[in-house]
Amino acid sequence: MLGAFLLAVGVAVAINLVLTGLILFAGATVGDYGECTVRVNGDREVKAAGGRSLLSTLKDSGIFIPSACGGRGSCGLCKVRVEGGGEPLATELPWLSKDEVKGGVRLACQVKVKGDLAIRIPEELLSVAQYEVEVASIADLTHDIKEVRLKLIEPGAMTFKAGQYVQFEVPAYKLTDEPVYRAYSISSDPVDRGAIELEIRYVPNGICTTYVHRHLKVGERVNINGPYGDFRLSDTGRDVIFIAGGSGMAPIKSMLLEMARTGCRRNAEYYFGARSREDLFLEDLMQRIEREMPSFRFIPSLAAPEGGDEWSGETGLVTDVVGRRAGDVSEKEAYLCGSPLMIDACVELLKKKGMPEDRIFYDKFS
Amino acid sequence: MGHAFAVFFAAVFTNNILLTNYLGMCSFLGVSREVKTSMGLGAAVVVVMTATSVLNWLVYSFVLAPLGLEYLRFIVFIVVIAAFVQIVEMVIERVSDTLYAALGIFLPLITVNCAILGVSLFMVIRSYTFLESLAYGAGSGVGWAVAILAMAGIRQRIGGSRVPKGMEGAGLALVIAGIMALAFMGFNGMMRLN
Amino acid sequence: MKTGKIVLRNLGRDNPVFAQILGICSTLAVTNVLKNTAVMCLGLIFTLALSNVTVSAMRRLIPGRVRMMVEVLVIASYVIVVDIALRAFVPDIARQLGPYVGLIITNCIVMGRAEAFALTNPPGAALADGVSSGVGYSYVLLVIAFFRELLGSGTIWGVRVLGDGWVNWSIMVTAPGAFFMLAVFIWIVKGVWLDSAPADAGKAGAR
Repeated sequence: MLGAFLLAVGVAVAINLVLTGLILFAGATVGDYGECTVRVNGDREVKAAGGRSLLSTLKDSGIFIPSACGGRGSCGLCKVRVEGGGEPLATELPWLSKDEVKGGVRLACQVKVKGDLAIRIPEELLSVAQYEVEVASIADLTHDIKEVRLKLIEPGAMTFKAGQYVQFEVPAYKLTDEPVYRAYSISSDPVDRGAIELEIRYVPNGICTTYVHRHLKVGERVNINGPYGDFRLSDTGRDVIFIAGGSGMAPIKSMLLEMARTGCRRNAEYYFGARSREDLFLEDLMQRIEREMPSFRFIPSLAAPEGGDEWSGETGLVTDVVGRRAGDVSEKEAYLCGSPLMIDACVELLKKKGMPEDRIFYDKFS
Repeated sequence: MGHAFAVFFAAVFTNNILLTNYLGMCSFLGVSREVKTSMGLGAAVVVVMTATSVLNWLVYSFVLAPLGLEYLRFIVFIVVIAAFVQIVEMVIERVSDTLYAALGIFLPLITVNCAILGVSLFMVIRSYTFLESLAYGAGSGVGWAVAILAMAGIRQRIGGSRVPKGMEGAGLALVIAGIMALAFMGFNGMMRLN
Repeated sequence: MKTGKIVLRNLGRDNPVFAQILGICSTLAVTNVLKNTAVMCLGLIFTLALSNVTVSAMRRLIPGRVRMMVEVLVIASYVIVVDIALRAFVPDIARQLGPYVGLIITNCIVMGRAEAFALTNPPGAALADGVSSGVGYSYVLLVIAFFRELLGSGTIWGVRVLGDGWVNWSIMVTAPGAFFMLAVFIWIVKGVWLDSAPADAGKAGAR
């Protein structure tokens, strides 16, 4: 009985060992591409062992291409221009337009580094870096949104534009075995280069949000990388409509702080949708900005006020309020941040009210 | 030798692994939207199925059966398939970019394709000889590729049609698969495979 | 997540069979006879539940690189147990099921739950998830098997229920019958049930 069992285990292990050995051997022979050089934007050179994806090769050298799916070719974010990069694979085509294919754009996660390469990426991605930060304070904004202030340690300052986001690295803990990254918009004024603030809403069982809400302590050191994103205020001078819900407040707040500080004269309306009174926050700050910037109006609305809420403002979904209050929007621009549902509904509404699609900018939570 | 040919044609037509044994449905429904990708996937399946049925036949006949460990075949077969796919991917990547773009990128998708494992299991149950296993693996691969290509062609053709609510996508694909299975039943008179 | 919630979700809107058409490959073939389907489903639930628990218990020990491999090995081990048990206790059915028992290994649901749920949740929740995913999957197949056997052979669980006047729809026991049956089932479920269910409340954002 025992003998039969040992024989079975022995054979299974032996077969596994042989196959693992074969794979390792293949990896060391046919899978070995020696050292390859990746030339980035004509000047910077990255040297690394070949055989891995361009995305992870670049990441190891401190160049972070934004990617949401972790290199499985399912988010389409990690686009880079590869000079002489060959035909895109069938797995990439769904994400690339005809012009991009013609221009040599590829998904970095699907390009294997097998020889020397030259690539072009947006210059600002080179300024993307990993920062070590220290938690300076954690404050409750509502029952489920916390404001986390992070002091930059190394490097000690970050240059970012209002509306951009960073990726927060959650170290391995109870809910995750390996570090994971989650994107959060910066909510603080870009003038403050030595620290940034994030607004993080608790999602039940969310790996990052649980970590931030339940485990993160003041004084703790964590890593972030960034800044990323092209969700930022244009300089056209047109009237602006901001629409946000929940922690979608963050990038808009950053934009407003900058507008108020620089004495911006653009007319701006900010529609903020909350469920009930307890989900509404930063009213004091918004009123202060209204005083500093006479061309600005903050228009909060409650979708479902509770019995005890004293509320004389707008009620209903934020789309309904925009529909009632916004008037003629055909000459304005809109900046939206919040859940995909809210954004889709708002884009639909604004288009119906005559706003051209290319003047609607948004940052969808994913 | 003659029987091996019979096995091959039976595996392609009368006992099509997809349309009569329902194996490989997941990738079948998922990838059959475009003829071009279906072709790549189909080719990859032919290669992997042929090779793994032969490899597994060797392992089964020369290692597992003599030692009386037939019940280990589940574990052993799946590991052999996974290792084979991984090595082939590495080799193809090295050898040719065109081949990698046409075939290699589909390889990871089919490691856990039920049809691949199914072929090896059927082969053992029907106690095929070496040649028959080779024929059965190749035939099943070709049969699967034929089915997915036909399916992709039909789906592309009816792509713009209006479909009753709830029937879009998978529902419709299953109806098409059903009709194709009916058509393939017509081959039944030609030969039987047991 | 509460256990009750996990169970409800797996039986209802997120039921893997009609939400994603997952994992039908290895089981559709046995749905021409209700009894075989039931045995197959029990085997699947057993494998799904235990492999989920095992993967969950080991989730912090598995290195990322060989994760898939370890999962496959865990699943395959349980399938071997099922196979041996079936051949010992119900040899007739085991013979009819043939290779399909082994194909539980490649059933997308088993692997999918291990990847999607067990890797990030404690064993208790993983057990609930495994059992309820398995049950949700099984009842779809049992419904299909019920109608295929009834219409195709005039019997239920091998017992003749339709009178002598009934002419068997022989297409139902052949391959196309299963495709049509599943298509109709999905049509009904998607058209009637999913449509009337309330839309998900706004999802909380990641950033």
